[in-house]
Amino acid sequence: MIRPNEFLETVDMIQKEKLDVRTVTMGINLLDCHRETVSETCQAIKEKIKHQAADLVNVCNQVGSEYSIQVVNKRIAVTPIANVGAGFTKEGFIEIARALDDAISEIGIDLLGGFSADVAGGSSFSDLELIASIPEALTQTKRVCSSVNVGSSKHGINLDAVNLLGRTIKELSEKSKENSGFAAAKFVVFTNQPGNNPFMAGAIHGNDQPEIVINVGVSGPGVIARALERKINQNPHMTLNELAEVIKHTAFRVTRCGELIGREVARKLSIPFGVVDLSLAPTPEAGDSVGEILQILGVDDVGAPGTTAALALLNDAVKKGGVFASQSVGGLSGAFIPVCEDKVLADAVKKGALTIEKLEAMTSVCSVGLDMIPIPGSVDANTISAIIADEMAIGMINSKTTAVRVIPVPGKDAGDFVAFGGLFGESVIMAIHNIGKSSRFASFGGKIPAPIFSLKN
Amino acid sequence: MGPERNSNIFAISIMSKDRIGIIASISKKIVEIGGDIADIRQSVLCGYFTMILLVAFPHATKKEEIESKLSSVNNLYEEPLLISVKQVDVKINDSAVVPVEHNYVLTVTGRDQIGFVASITCFCAENGINILDLSTTRKNELYIMILFVDISHSEGINKLRDSLTNLQNETGFEIVLQHYNIFQAVNEINLPLI
Repeated sequence: MIRPNEFLETVDMIQKEKLDVRTVTMGINLLDCHRETVSETCQAIKEKIKHQAADLVNVCNQVGSEYSIQVVNKRIAVTPIANVGAGFTKEGFIEIARALDDAISEIGIDLLGGFSADVAGGSSFSDLELIASIPEALTQTKRVCSSVNVGSSKHGINLDAVNLLGRTIKELSEKSKENSGFAAAKFVVFTNQPGNNPFMAGAIHGNDQPEIVINVGVSGPGVIARALERKINQNPHMTLNELAEVIKHTAFRVTRCGELIGREVARKLSIPFGVVDLSLAPTPEAGDSVGEILQILGVDDVGAPGTTAALALLNDAVKKGGVFASQSVGGLSGAFIPVCEDKVLADAVKKGALTIEKLEAMTSVCSVGLDMIPIPGSVDANTISAIIADEMAIGMINSKTTAVRVIPVPGKDAGDFVAFGGLFGESVIMAIHNIGKSSRFASFGGKIPAPIFSLKN
Repeated sequence: MGPERNSNIFAISIMSKDRIGIIASISKKIVEIGGDIADIRQSVLCGYFTMILLVAFPHATKKEEIESKLSSVNNLYEEPLLISVKQVDVKINDSAVVPVEHNYVLTVTGRDQIGFVASITCFCAENGINILDLSTTRKNELYIMILFVDISHSEGINKLRDSLTNLQNETGFEIVLQHYNIFQAVNEINLPLI
C-alpha cells in the first residue's frame, strides 16, 4: 500500500502544480497517399488523416477526464511532405498544405507537423519545390507547421539550404506582417531532427517510423519548480547534487503520468505506443517556466553566469529520472527554452539579462535550440542564415538535436514588445548584434563537412 | 496440512493499549488450537492497538473454545485485551484479485470538525461508492482523509465529479478524486499494466 504522504504528494502534483500531458501526437505515414495528380493526392491525404485520427480528440478528452490529467494538445505528425509530394511543383505543395489544414480542422486537431524536408545531405527537386512553397503554405493555412532538417552529424551542414531558409524566414515574416510575422513561428530549421518528436513546430513522422503511432510529450516545469522549492524550504543547505536528485525523482513521476495517459490513449485507439518525450516544455502561464527552475537553482536573473551550468544539471537530471520511468523514450527529451513561451525567460530578455549569445551557449547543454525568439524585422536574411549556421554547428559537433525558430517582427526593433497570443506567448524583441557582418561567410555556400568523431576535445 | 479452508472461519478482533508482544501471544494461542490465520490487518492509532484476523479452525472448534483460549493471554497483562470472536460466512481466496478499472483514491482535506468523516462516508454511501480502505492523517491544522474506493456501482465518473464539486462547495473541504493507477504509476517501480 502507498503511504499517506505519497498519496498527498501525488494529489498536489496534479492539482496544484499544473501537471498535464502537453501533447499526444499521432504519427501517420502518408507515403501511400501519393497519386498521379496533386488533387488526387490531396484527396487521399485527407481521407487517410480523417480516417486514422477521427477519434483522437475524443479519446484524449475521455482519458483526460478519467484520470483528471488534461491532455492539452492533440496533434498529428506526418511523413515529410517533400517525400509524399515527390515530383510536384511549388503550387502542388501549397495545395497539399491546404488539404492538410482542412483535414485536421474537421477533426479538431490543434496542429499538424510534417510540411517538411530533409536536405542535410543535399536537396532534391521536390525538397526545393517544398521549400519554395513554405511562405505561401504557412500563410494560407492556420494549423500546419513546417520544418527543414539542414544538417546532421553524419552528413554535415547544407549551407546552401541554410542560405535559402534565411530568406524563407524573412518571407514568412513579411507575408504575415499584419500578425507581427507570426507565420515564422510555425517554421523551424533543424540539425539531427528526430522522426518521433511530438512537439511543434518540429514534429514529423520519420521514414523509420511505423505506419501509425502515438507519441507523448509531458510537461512539468511547474511540478519540478514546486518540488525544488519544497525541499529547499525544508533544508536550505542542500547541495546541487541533492537538488539534482529531487529533479530526478520528480521527473520520474511526471514521466510516469505521461506514459500512463499515452498508453491508455494508444490502447483505446488500438494504435501502437511509440515514445515519451521527456522535454520540460514551459507555457507562458506563471509557475510553468523552465527559467523559474534556473532561478530556484540560484541564478537570480536567467542569463547570469551559472545559467548554463544550472541548465546542464536540470537537463541531465530530467533525463535520468525519465528514462527509468518510461519503457521507451525518444523525441527531443530535454528542457526547452523558448523565449516567448516562458515568462521568466521573456522577463530576462526585457531586463537585458538574457542575450541571444547566452541562449546559444545554453542550447549546447539542453534541447532544443534558439526557440521562439522575436528579432528585429530589419535583420537581413544572411544574418539569419548565419545565426542558423552557428546553432546547427552546435548540434552537428555534439551529436545532438539543435534547432532555430526566430521570428523577424516587421516594423519593430530591439526592445519593442510583441505578443503572439495563447501558447505562443509574448516577449520583448531580442537585440541582434553584428548585423550584416556575416554576408561573406554565407555567400561561400556549399557544405560544412561532417565532423570527425575521434580525437574528441 | 492446516484445517480445511473456507469451512470454519472466525473473525477475531483485538483492542488494547499498545505494548510489545500482543500479536505474538495471540498467534501462539491460535496455533495451539489448530487455527490457520488467513488474513490480518493491524494498526496502532495514537498509541492504541487494534487488530482484526480471519482464522480457519478445525471443523469441530467452537466459538467459546476460541474465546477462552485467547482470553488466557490476559493472565500476562495488567490491562486485559478486549477480544471479540464471531463465526463468519466468507470465502478465503488464495490471492485477492482486485479489478483496477474502477479503483479510485478520494482525498479530502479540511479543518478538523465533528462530522467530518460522517459527511464524506455518507456521501459515498449515497453515491454507490464502496470504501475499500480508509485512513486519516493530520498535516498542520488540517485533517486529511484518504479513501481507496471502488466506483463501479456509481453513476459514472463524470456525474461523480459533478457531485463531488457540489459537496466541495457545500462543505468547504478540498476534495480530489483520482484514478488509483496514477498513484501506482508515480510511486511504484512497476508501471501498472493497462
